[in-house]
Formats: sequence, structure tokens, C-alpha cells
Amino acid sequence: MKRILSLLLIAGLFSACQKDESPFDKGPDERINETLASYEQALVSSPAGWNATIITGTGGLFNFHFRFNASNRVFMFSDFNQETAGTEKESSYRLKSLQQPVLMFDTYSYIHLLGDPTGSVNGGQNGEGLKVDFEYSLDTLYADSIILTGRFYGTRLKLIKSDQADLDAWQNGIWENNLAFLNISEILEYFKRFSHAGVTYEMLIDETSRTILFHWVSGGTLRTFVTSYYFDNTGLVLQEPLVNGNTTITGFDHFDWNDNNKTLDMQVNGQDATIAGATAPLRTDLGAPRRWWEAAANAGSYWISPTGFHVNGVDDAYHVTEVPNYYFTIFWPAYGRTQDNVVVDILGFVTQEIGGLALNIAAGYRPPNFTSDGRVVFPFLDVLTDVPPEAKDAFEKTYQKFSEAEGFYFVQTGASSYDMVAASDARSWISWVR
Amino acid sequence: MKSVQYLFLLLIAGLAGLSSCKKDNVSGNADDIPGLGGDEWVNGPVDDWLFTNYTQVYNVDVKYKWSQTELSELNKFVVPVDEAQVIPVMTAIKDIWVTPYEQEAGGNFMKQYMPRFIILFGSPSYNSDGSFTLGQAEGEGRILLFDLNNFRSKGMPGYEPVDSLTVKEMFHTIEHEFGHTLHFNIMYPVEFKTITGGYTSNWNNNTNAQAREQGFISNYAMNGPDDDFVETIAFLLVEGQSWFQAMLATIESDEGRTKLQQKAAMVEDYYHNAWNINFRSLQTRTRAAIIAYTK
Repeated sequence: MKRILSLLLIAGLFSACQKDESPFDKGPDERINETLASYEQALVSSPAGWNATIITGTGGLFNFHFRFNASNRVFMFSDFNQETAGTEKESSYRLKSLQQPVLMFDTYSYIHLLGDPTGSVNGGQNGEGLKVDFEYSLDTLYADSIILTGRFYGTRLKLIKSDQADLDAWQNGIWENNLAFLNISEILEYFKRFSHAGVTYEMLIDETSRTILFHWVSGGTLRTFVTSYYFDNTGLVLQEPLVNGNTTITGFDHFDWNDNNKTLDMQVNGQDATIAGATAPLRTDLGAPRRWWEAAANAGSYWISPTGFHVNGVDDAYHVTEVPNYYFTIFWPAYGRTQDNVVVDILGFVTQEIGGLALNIAAGYRPPNFTSDGRVVFPFLDVLTDVPPEAKDAFEKTYQKFSEAEGFYFVQTGASSYDMVAASDARSWISWVR
Repeated sequence: MKSVQYLFLLLIAGLAGLSSCKKDNVSGNADDIPGLGGDEWVNGPVDDWLFTNYTQVYNVDVKYKWSQTELSELNKFVVPVDEAQVIPVMTAIKDIWVTPYEQEAGGNFMKQYMPRFIILFGSPSYNSDGSFTLGQAEGEGRILLFDLNNFRSKGMPGYEPVDSLTVKEMFHTIEHEFGHTLHFNIMYPVEFKTITGGYTSNWNNNTNAQAREQGFISNYAMNGPDDDFVETIAFLLVEGQSWFQAMLATIESDEGRTKLQQKAAMVEDYYHNAWNINFRSLQTRTRAAIIAYTK
């Protein structure tokens, strides 16, 4: 019995060796080389190049145009800003076999502007930028399109064959003109308005995530509408149209920036309109200052601002982020009481010290004065700590700005985020989050 | 006993079975393995320039095109260098670092001791604590240079005086790492380690000023004797002798000042005895080259 069993086993071993023919007619290296060659062939095969769209990891839609040649060169446009939309940049690319066939943009170009880990390049956080890849796995090759996936952030990139008209729109400056819209960031006032069909609209624009918040007054009440936007070869397109009664706004076009007046002429539904700065909100949110203050005070918590004040067109005008070990600016309502039993609010710089975060630089304020017209004024009490010399200038300017007699408007920008805007001229503001 | 025999039989049969499984080689021609022998692309002017000025002369491979594997920390997101920056950066490296050493130590010195790979990146490499890395050396063979898209020297478009800090920082990194290469080859006198002692991994608890009061040229010099030695070299070469004298004058502690002078003297002796290099003359040339690029 045992002998039969072992014979069977032996027979089994032999039969296991009778392999089927390889399912592939070629070796893996040969097949990889063929795949890479077919992708390169596809990339260079479109003489007018490729249209591409990227949604950043931080949520903004950007358009690109690529032209690849057979010498590892790529020619690129991007609607990142006016310069990248108007000047074609040449850089390099290569195809490489990693775990999968990979397309990499292997020297710096416009696509790297979005992913650049230096936040000041693109408005993102240091270390991550807008979270956009420049190394892509080639997933699928169709006749007129190629689907790719980023290897670090998983950015989705879809290349679609361009026709000559697409290329012309970039090369003839049509996109560059459309990107003139971004000049509105040079308007010094926080509040930016235009009028259309008898209604004044106020806009808050976040260029990093490419979203716009609209305010307007209808039937005596303040209306709010938020939408993403993107650019195309006609102008700026609102992802969702703004609907106000009989008026529907789907986008803006025909931009013309006036650098002397800091105004932007444009067309809305074929009618002329102008975006200009304003020194006060369209309708002041009267309760906002108190809501902001109480939200933190009632929770025994505080508001933070990573970047400090924007003043006269300059982000971080007081260079608070350059203070050694600076972590964020803090406002802590009802932090404590003085010896005279006065409730004290704290404004300070939190720094990163050995062993953790520390609030070693702080000024005190008496309880704020909420005015009936929707402003808040902070009565300065005293500087409560020693201020190291390297932080002195940044801190003095910050608490002096905070102490301005005209006070501040508040604009709620999210569930737990507010912008605090100087009531004097609306040219200074600071963003608070919790 | 019988069962043991069966076992033998099975084993033999098994071996025979395995050997009979030798398949046809389907891996194809080994010459066609993709990427074997390194990445390839169509050479352009930058490649030609690097080949002529670095590969041919020094047997150094300057890598400027992105390759994730060159970045040892795979969790970091760093972007590649802009091609337009490569020749200006590598020209500055030649003028400020390579040429002064050649002039002092002879033409073959850098051919022998330069790292075999210089790897260029466009952005800094950010660390999770908010700080960032500008340079890194791995053993003697590889040096990584970051943030080169922000490298601006005098005469380049957009140069501002503040950019001189970036230039100096880059050469500080290079001279620091090259100092390690030198002492890996010929060790500095052991007495150097005992001039101050007091090395600590918590060096960053001290500012540069505090470190100098204790006889270290920078806070990072407190990290260990090797770093102390090469920090001394890097500061002396990049900042120059008159900076060193002026810095000494700001030190309140007589002991700290004396120890720094002892360390500087020992660096000079080491360059003379180990490498037959006149350190002061090397310093003058390096500093003059830095000034030419920044002022």
C-alpha cells in the first residue's frame, strides 16, 4: 500500500513539471521595453500636443498643455498664472520602468510649481505645496487619451489629444489674457465688488483652492454663494453657476487689468463690469465679532493664525513667520484676570521650544468693545512678557495693529474660520482658525 | 526502517522532478533589461557641459535629472532642479570650491578626493518639525545639494543681496562635507577632541553665540569632534579670516576665545602636515571667490 502511495506521489511530481507553454510569447524585459516604446510613440504622436487637467491635492483645478518630442523634451503651458499661460517652457521628461511604466517630468517645469514643497511658490504648506505629483504611472493608453496616476500623492492626470486650435489658444495668448483675472489679488482692499444687472456682488477669492465666495443683498437679506472656479480658453468658469432671481452668472471673460486704478474690467453675460476694491463690507455681519470671540471663550480655547497680518498687498507684512521658532500667532479670549480682577484677552506668538510649544511672547487686552455697527475694538492693556530682540519688531507691529482705534470687521469664511479686517481702510487683515 | 527508505526514494524522485523542470529561458536577452547601465536620455547642452567640465576632468557624475532613489528619504517630497540652474551652480562650485583647492594642493588633488556623485535638487528637503535640509553627504561618495532653484549669485537675473546667504549656506555645506572626506582619509590629531570636550547631541539647545562662548565655532560644532573639526574648516573658509577675528572679539569668555584660536591653529597645522596645503592661502582664495559671486 505504501509503495503504491509513494509511486503515486512520484508520478505526481513528474506530472507537475509538465508546464504549459508560457502565457507570454516574449520575456518580461522585452515586453517592458515594448510598452515603454509604445507610450513614447503615443506621447510624441500628437503634433499639436496634449490637453491636461489636474486637480490638486488641496482642491483646485489647473489646466496644462504638453508637447513631447522624441528627444526627451517637453514643451509646456499652464494656467497657474499669467506668465506660465503665456510663455511656453521647455524641460525634460523620460519614461522609466519602475514597478510600472512611469512618465516623469525630471527637470523643473510648470507642473512642479504646483507640487513645489516651498509654500510661498504656490500658496500651500511648506513640505507639501499643493500636493501635485511629477512622477506618473501610465495606467491606460487609449487612441486619443492617456490615463496616469501620480506615484506620491496619487494625482490623477488625463492627457487628451489637442487639435491645432487648442495649441493656438495657448500660443496666441488667449489663456494668458484669461489669467489676467488673477491680478485682482493686487487690489489692496479686502472687499472686492462688481455690479451686474443692477446688483452689487462682493467676492472673496481663494486662489490656492480656486474658490469664490459671493455676497449680495436680495430682498433685504444678505445672500451667500460659494463655488469652485477654473479657467478655460474663454475665460473664468464658475463650477456651479450663481443664480439670483432671473440672473444666472456662469463665469467672467474679456479681462482687462488697469494697473493704475487697480481695477479689472470684464464682461458678465456679455455686459461690461468692473471689479474694484471697497473699504467696508457690502453688508456688515453685525454679530460676527461677538460670535468669533465667544466661540473660543465659551470653549476655553483660542484662535490661531499661522501667517500674521496681510498689510497693503503684502502677506505676512510684519515677518512674524521669520521670528525664530515661530509656530503661530494666538488670540486667547478671557485667558485670565489681572490683580484688579479685570478679564484679560491674550495676543501672542507661540513658539516651538525644547519640550513643546510655548507662549512666551504676549500682550494683554481688556475685554473687547463690540460696536453697534459691527466692529470690534481691542483696548490694549500691556505687554505681559519679555520680548526677545529678534521678535521685537514683528510683535510690536502686530499688537499695535491689533490696538487700532477704528477696530475690525469680521467675515466668517467657514465653520471655524474668520477673517478680521481693519475697519480703517480694509487694507490690513488677518485670518483666524480654530 | 522501511519508512525511511521510502522517504529516500521520495527525496530522490523529488530532486529528479525539480531538475527536470528546467525551463526554457524566457527572460530574453540580458542586454535589453530596461534601465540596466543607468537611465538614458538624449543628451542636451547641459549634459555635454557636465561631461566636459566634471565627468571628463574629475570622473564625477553630476546628476540633475530626477531620480527618486537618489533621495534617501522616500517619505520626503522634493522637486527636481531647473535645467537653467545647473550650469551656473556647477560653475560656482568649480570656482569657489574646486579651483582654490587645486591651486593650493595641485591638479590631481580634487581628481582623487572629490565625491564621485554630486546630486542636485530644486527645492529644500523639508523635515516634519518645519526645518529643512540644504545639503547632505553620504559616506565619501555622494553629496546631495538642495534648494538650487533659489541659487542666485551676483549677475544672475533677480539677484538680491539677501541671496548671498543662500550662496554661503551652500558652500558651507560643501566645505563641511568635504572636510569629513579629508579626515576620513587622514585623521586629525587626537588632541583636537580634548580642546573643549563637552560634545552633546542636544547641541541645538545652544545658539551659535552661546556655543562660541564655550569654544565652538557654531552650535552644530558641539555635535561631536568630527563635526566640530569640519565646522571650523567650513566657517573659516566661507566667512574668511577677518570675519573670524571680528567674531573672536565679540566673545566675552577668554577661555572660549582661546579654545577657538587653538582649534583654528590646529586646522591650519592639519592642512599643512596631512595635505601640504597652506590653509590661510586656501582661505584667502575661497573667500575671494565667494565675494566675487556675492558682492
